[in-house]
Amino acid sequence: MAVPDPAAGQAIPLRPGLAARLLSWGTWGIIAALFVVSVQQTGFNLEVIGEGIADFFRFFRRLTPDWRALPEIWRPLLETLQIAYLATIFGTLIGLPVIFLASFNTTVNRPIMWVARSILTVLRSIPDLLYAAILAPILAVGPLPGVVALTIFTMAVLAKLTSETVEAVDPGPLEALRAVGAGRNRVIAYAVLPQIGATLTSYVLYIFEINVRASVVIGLVGAGGIGNLLNRYLSFFDYGGLATLIVVIFVVVLAIDQLSVWARSRLI
Amino acid sequence: MPPTPAPAAIPPTPAAVRRTRVLLALVALAMAALGAFFVATMNLPTWARILTGLERSAMPLLRGFVNPNWGVFDLASRAMVETVFMAVIGTVIGGLLAFPMAFLAANNLLGSRLLAFPGKTVLVAIRTFPEILFAIIFVAAMGPGPIAGILAMGINSVGFLGKVFSDVVEGIDAGPSEAIRAAGGNGMHVFFFSVVPQVLPEFASYLLYRFEINLRAASVLGLVGAGGIGAPLIQRLQFRRWDEISMIMIVIVVTIIVVDTLSSSVRRRLV
Repeated sequence: MAVPDPAAGQAIPLRPGLAARLLSWGTWGIIAALFVVSVQQTGFNLEVIGEGIADFFRFFRRLTPDWRALPEIWRPLLETLQIAYLATIFGTLIGLPVIFLASFNTTVNRPIMWVARSILTVLRSIPDLLYAAILAPILAVGPLPGVVALTIFTMAVLAKLTSETVEAVDPGPLEALRAVGAGRNRVIAYAVLPQIGATLTSYVLYIFEINVRASVVIGLVGAGGIGNLLNRYLSFFDYGGLATLIVVIFVVVLAIDQLSVWARSRLI
Repeated sequence: MPPTPAPAAIPPTPAAVRRTRVLLALVALAMAALGAFFVATMNLPTWARILTGLERSAMPLLRGFVNPNWGVFDLASRAMVETVFMAVIGTVIGGLLAFPMAFLAANNLLGSRLLAFPGKTVLVAIRTFPEILFAIIFVAAMGPGPIAGILAMGINSVGFLGKVFSDVVEGIDAGPSEAIRAAGGNGMHVFFFSVVPQVLPEFASYLLYRFEINLRAASVLGLVGAGGIGAPLIQRLQFRRWDEISMIMIVIVVTIIVVDTLSSSVRRRLV
């Protein structure tokens, strides 16, 4: 590590300013205060944690995988992955036009941009499991409400993430195309998409990872996939089946994650 | 003024670009085919079944959602406050456990990738499980209630926070640490006067971010019996009381948007 030399124009690193330090300490103070209030209000204490952890380990010891459950796991597992895959594809297709409506440099006009952004904010603030729980009684119990729920979620998250990328693209190519008379769609196709292609693909993969995790559990509220089986094992106290299921979920999710992380690291 | 050059003919598309285009088209085609295959083989209800379902429930649902029932506002806001408390405790527990993990999983502090490997592996394993799965296991092990939800969130947060914290630790400036060593400081001095001050603002920022995620999670933990606002919600979902569900959802959405906005404005200034 070279010592900075002021004579040569190298800046000596300064201590962060007072405002920055106050903000950091203030944030920690607020976190601490919130924690104290929460603990008082919920009656949470170390004893409770201890009991919880003890219960957990007692439960954990009963979880010995019973591999005879494997044959009945495959089908719901496949359904889980199908839900995640279809929702990612549909959500991306529906989300693509929304991305450009919600970005200031590609939108049609300001009011449309604000409407798109507000809708995305509301859609994004509703957890995916909640969509599934609401849609399951309407769209018949099964994979369909799961696909619809995760499609909405995919669209909202993708549009939000990507519109930030779109707003950060180099404006040069956009201006050049506009200067030669290209319309909005041409500008998006020839100036924006080539710039965001890799990032967009990486976001889609990332959301697919999230969707795989979500599609594992949405069956708990009747939206298809492996969660149904999870519910059944739990209500029949079938610990052998439960343990097998947990192991299978772990291996599958880990494999998909690692593949996706590897692909994403190659993309960007 | 120099003469305008004659417009040249548009050069042919380079071979590499054409190859990429063909490849992209093939990938898109394969993905569409796979999707069509899934749709065809999946256990989907018939159109008639979907339509009768919609006919039966779409109108009541719509009517309920445009007329939120203010009668449950008190109950919903009290449950939401409890949900926020759960998310706070879950996040802090996650942060407290993640703090030592971050240093155990950082390549630069341990001085070797091999030593950081076990820490990193534990964090990956935790991150693999969906949060709700932890919640179900905790509810099954210790009975329903907010404690199960808090512990599930706490454990699950360690996976994320441990990872991002250790990334922060790996990214710190080595200068101050070397300066302290050069002035005769020992490992403890380096840790407390160089490492910790450098990482604290970013740790705070990630804690806030995780709090946003946990608040979303806490709102649905009740669907599996782990306390918070999801509990009154799932009861009403069973009876399809859409007007009350609408009110509860408004409370959830408004709280989440307010917390997100506050938290992200602090985070922007922190880092």
